[in-house]
Amino acid sequence: MLHAKIIDIKEKKLSIIEAENFISSYDYGASIFFTGTVRNQNENKSVIGITYDSHDALVISSFKEIYNEADQKLNIKDKSVFIEHAKGYLNLGEISIIIAVACKHRDQAYVLSRFIIEEIKKRSPIWKKEHYQNNDSAWLKGNPIINEKN
Amino acid sequence: MKIKIELFGASRDFSDQHLLEFDVDSHSTIKDIRKKMLNYLDINFNGNENFKKIVNSSAFCSENNNIISDNYKITKNEKIAIIPPIGGG
Repeated sequence: MLHAKIIDIKEKKLSIIEAENFISSYDYGASIFFTGTVRNQNENKSVIGITYDSHDALVISSFKEIYNEADQKLNIKDKSVFIEHAKGYLNLGEISIIIAVACKHRDQAYVLSRFIIEEIKKRSPIWKKEHYQNNDSAWLKGNPIINEKN
Repeated sequence: MKIKIELFGASRDFSDQHLLEFDVDSHSTIKDIRKKMLNYLDINFNGNENFKKIVNSSAFCSENNNIISDNYKITKNEKIAIIPPIGGG
């Protein structure tokens, strides 16, 4: 079971409670909640906020692919996964991503949670623009997307 | 034919409209679009090397949300997206 969504931060904030409600089930004995938040330092610069940009359709499709790949690569078929990523301007401490997973056992939950965030970093078209205390801002350098199909 | 290029990430700095539009010949490829964009940056941003690096290291995405190669042919008026190197999460 998968919930995958991009949240426009102007409309609502990401919610751990919603994630918990989605993955909660008597079928599973282990849950992991991962959140990414905006921190105040990067490469010796004082960060005051981050703007997230997203190609929504490609991001959602990458979330679904990653979820399905967990079946084959990790052999974790029975699972519940909630993934939400924010887009727009976030202040320090605000949540940019929630990955909540529930599995039968803890080893599966830990592995699955880590797998999902690492694959998102590699494959999901999401970009960050950092805003600094001196009023400057910069898009962060990333890595070229890897899944070329045609 | 006209092609619209939706801008994302660092490429949003190429225009205030978040979109570039070029006239292209039928069966132009993504490789040709890349050249058009580099030419646009030469004219409008004095050949800004950082911007040109972004174009050269970006992928492109079709209207039906597939990542497309440099050999992809434009056969109709189309809106594609430029996908600069990624790094969210």
